[in-house]
Amino acid sequence: MKIAVLVKQVPGSESALPLNNYQNWIEESSVTFVMNPPDNYALEEALLIKERLDEGEVVIVSMGPDRVQKVIREGLAKGADRGIHIKESPEIVKDPLLIAKSFTTVLKEENFDLVLSGLQSDDTGMGQTGVLIGEMLGASTATLAIETRLEGDHIKVKRELEAGWFQWVQLPLPASISIQSGLNTPRYPSLKGIMGAKKKVIKCISSDLASKQAQTIDKIFIPQTSKQTEVIEADVDVAVSRIVEILKSEIKVF
Amino acid sequence: MLTVTEKIIFIVLTVACLGASFFTFTKMFRVIGLGKDPIDWKKVAQNWKVGVDTFISQKTLFKTRPVVGFIHALVAWGFSLYLFVNIIDVLYGLIPNFKFLPNHFLGDIYRISVDIFSVLVLLGVIYFLARRFVLKDKRLQISAPVMISNSALKGMRFDSLLVGSFILVHVGSRFLSASFEIAGSHSDWSQPAANLVSKIWIGMDHDTILVMEHITWWLALGLILLFLPYFPYSKHAHLFMGPINIMAAEKRKSMATLEKIDFEDDNIEQFGAAQIQHLPQAQLLDGYACIQCSRCQDACPAYETGKELSPSALEINKRYFFNENLDILAKGESVDKALTDWMLTEEAAWSCTTCGYCVEVCPVGNEPMVDILRARQDLVMMESKFPEEAMETFEKMENYGNPWGLSPQDREAWMDGYGVPLMREKKKVDVLYWAGCSGAYDNRGKEISQSVADILNKAEIDYGCLGNEEMCTGDSARRIGNEYLFQTMAEQNRETFDQYEFKKIVTQCPHCFSTLKNDYAEMGIELDVVHHSQFIDELIQENKIEPQPWVDEDVTFHDPCYLGRHNNEYDAPRSVLQSVLREGKIKEMEKAKSESFCCGAGGGNMWYEIKTGERINQNRVKQAVSTKANTVAAACNFCNIMLEDGVKTTQNEENIKVLDIAEMVSQSLSE
Repeated sequence: MKIAVLVKQVPGSESALPLNNYQNWIEESSVTFVMNPPDNYALEEALLIKERLDEGEVVIVSMGPDRVQKVIREGLAKGADRGIHIKESPEIVKDPLLIAKSFTTVLKEENFDLVLSGLQSDDTGMGQTGVLIGEMLGASTATLAIETRLEGDHIKVKRELEAGWFQWVQLPLPASISIQSGLNTPRYPSLKGIMGAKKKVIKCISSDLASKQAQTIDKIFIPQTSKQTEVIEADVDVAVSRIVEILKSEIKVF
Repeated sequence: MLTVTEKIIFIVLTVACLGASFFTFTKMFRVIGLGKDPIDWKKVAQNWKVGVDTFISQKTLFKTRPVVGFIHALVAWGFSLYLFVNIIDVLYGLIPNFKFLPNHFLGDIYRISVDIFSVLVLLGVIYFLARRFVLKDKRLQISAPVMISNSALKGMRFDSLLVGSFILVHVGSRFLSASFEIAGSHSDWSQPAANLVSKIWIGMDHDTILVMEHITWWLALGLILLFLPYFPYSKHAHLFMGPINIMAAEKRKSMATLEKIDFEDDNIEQFGAAQIQHLPQAQLLDGYACIQCSRCQDACPAYETGKELSPSALEINKRYFFNENLDILAKGESVDKALTDWMLTEEAAWSCTTCGYCVEVCPVGNEPMVDILRARQDLVMMESKFPEEAMETFEKMENYGNPWGLSPQDREAWMDGYGVPLMREKKKVDVLYWAGCSGAYDNRGKEISQSVADILNKAEIDYGCLGNEEMCTGDSARRIGNEYLFQTMAEQNRETFDQYEFKKIVTQCPHCFSTLKNDYAEMGIELDVVHHSQFIDELIQENKIEPQPWVDEDVTFHDPCYLGRHNNEYDAPRSVLQSVLREGKIKEMEKAKSESFCCGAGGGNMWYEIKTGERINQNRVKQAVSTKANTVAAACNFCNIMLEDGVKTTQNEENIKVLDIAEMVSQSLSE
């Protein structure tokens, strides 16, 4: 069983996020980057599948500038076997179609049985990469997996639907599956893992698709907050009924 | 006195029993030899003065439980006197008509002291037996939910009964023997108690008295011989192992500062302790030194609040594990069982707040806390098994450089409007003020930092802060057992320190203080670090600030473990506190200074919660409230947070408030 886990490096949820001068992305120099949390669950799921089968290979594939090697190493420390770093300028990381194309080129050569990715990245949150890759690889695809069961040459995936509904789907391998957060408890690397990771191989592949970018970000901004105060000046009965109405129709507490 | 047959029996028995005892002792030392970090026995021997001093003065017994300690001293002194007495008695038995300096004042002194001590030892041991078996003193028991092995449970009672009865019969028979001897000859004023008892035998015929004298002689000395082979198995071995353990004590920079692990060394395959052979020899010796008095659990915050940990049970389990597996272990083979299966449970290991109480009070110098720290290193670094919240803490420290997981860019937020100079601008200062993560992120912590800054400003100290360049010292990581993460953080801070010039570091958090002072020194980073209580005290002594006393209500002081027990500073914070008291007085809690009770946050417990039992901070708040003081003064950010939470959750907001001593001083400085 050969499993690829797509891991993205994203700004940490508590990191400072200053806007850059063009106001089309953040100023990255003062940002704390971490492993995209949903991808962490995908990685754990891959490691669990490998451990259950007691055979196989888990490969971390990440795209971005040199700094992403940090999250690849993190994955290797947790137990992945090797890493692939697709060197790409940061700009491309905002166009899901290009991202998928770039990944697909690499993934095709490797012939993975399973491609796992987090359901979305915590920065742009487009949630398309896993699906697009599945399509481009001609593999079966499922999204929002909250449980996986590998059975011979197919995989059963429990999917989370709306309103508390679940669904089991069965897919033939190879498959590309995007993983919902919280389905497992990601591990902390043991020291042996950390030490071992230093000796594991990260293959660097350059790719330059930036010029072909179809989708760009025009502007990002911090939501403007504004205060609205309504003063209710009326006698008690009228005031109370107005407040109840606000609670009901505007704040919707009932 | 003895007949020829008796003499032969005695000599044969002596050789056989001494031999058996020696054989077991060698086995025990081979068990100790199973551990890593060999004990340097030559150095231990050179340390003999310490052992003798401790034995004679019995001073370690008086750290807690002074009354019991005194009775123990009587038994110990009496018993050592008895070693000499036994030799004299053997001579008396073997040499016809032998009497020790019969008409010499030294002989009289000897007899009178033996007489008195016999009575004292008897009374002492009767008290000890009554305490364990009749009064059933709770302090000698280990209650649920602590894991204690079955063999330990049975063995402890049996051992205590046997050792107690042995002393009782041995000393008692010897005493009776003396009384029969007096009854058989003439009264002896130099043995007043035996003399008195001899009156009972008046009227007995001479032959009966002679037979009784033989019987009691054999009961006294024959019993010693019979006890010898059992002696090493019993907790009574603490008589030797205790002083030896104190002589073999490992030197640490502070009680929770373990030696640095060299991660570059490829030969190390095991980090921390998973099994018995991974513990240092000195810590295996601990198991043999333990007398099972359970002083260590008296104010153990985990045990006292009903958690799975008892430091005493840890050592007792160790001892019985040795006894059970003596032959295998003595062969130098290990037993394939995880420490967490028999020594203490995983939850017990996580329940330890590393407050150091157990290490502080142990009369024989045991360090159960250090075993726990080593077990944690294994659980974290080898097995990745630890509370889930701790994992988040590690990740926050790794990603954001602080256990709160807040942006490193927000470290300077507390400084707004306080005119705090920054190192990146000043480059060179006298004092580097280390606010710490809690001082930068926690709302109460920020107020404390502002108070410290205010004091530094008013004292016109040439100081600076690292601000956003500061990073967690790694304290929590090290205590939880993540040595690797700790070293990573220490190295990053080393680089920051190297960029600037400063003479001294002042911290407000005792955890930062102890880590920078001791653990960084262990890493080879030498710094001059003082706690804010020490620094402020110095400022007051040197008249650089003049606090105006303003506190009219009584105050109690909560000793932070990492300032008090870990670094022996009890006076400075009290002296600082005194400077702001007007009508108010310091009302000490029952558990104060070296016996202080932890707030519950140490050892990484700030970041995860052990749900078993009562919450430690609530227990401590109740202790503070019971002093009737209106304020509990703290000198640690963690303590402040824990106590404040405890005050709220026990609905004591009306009764007591929590203030840091720096805040109290800052408030006392006029503009």
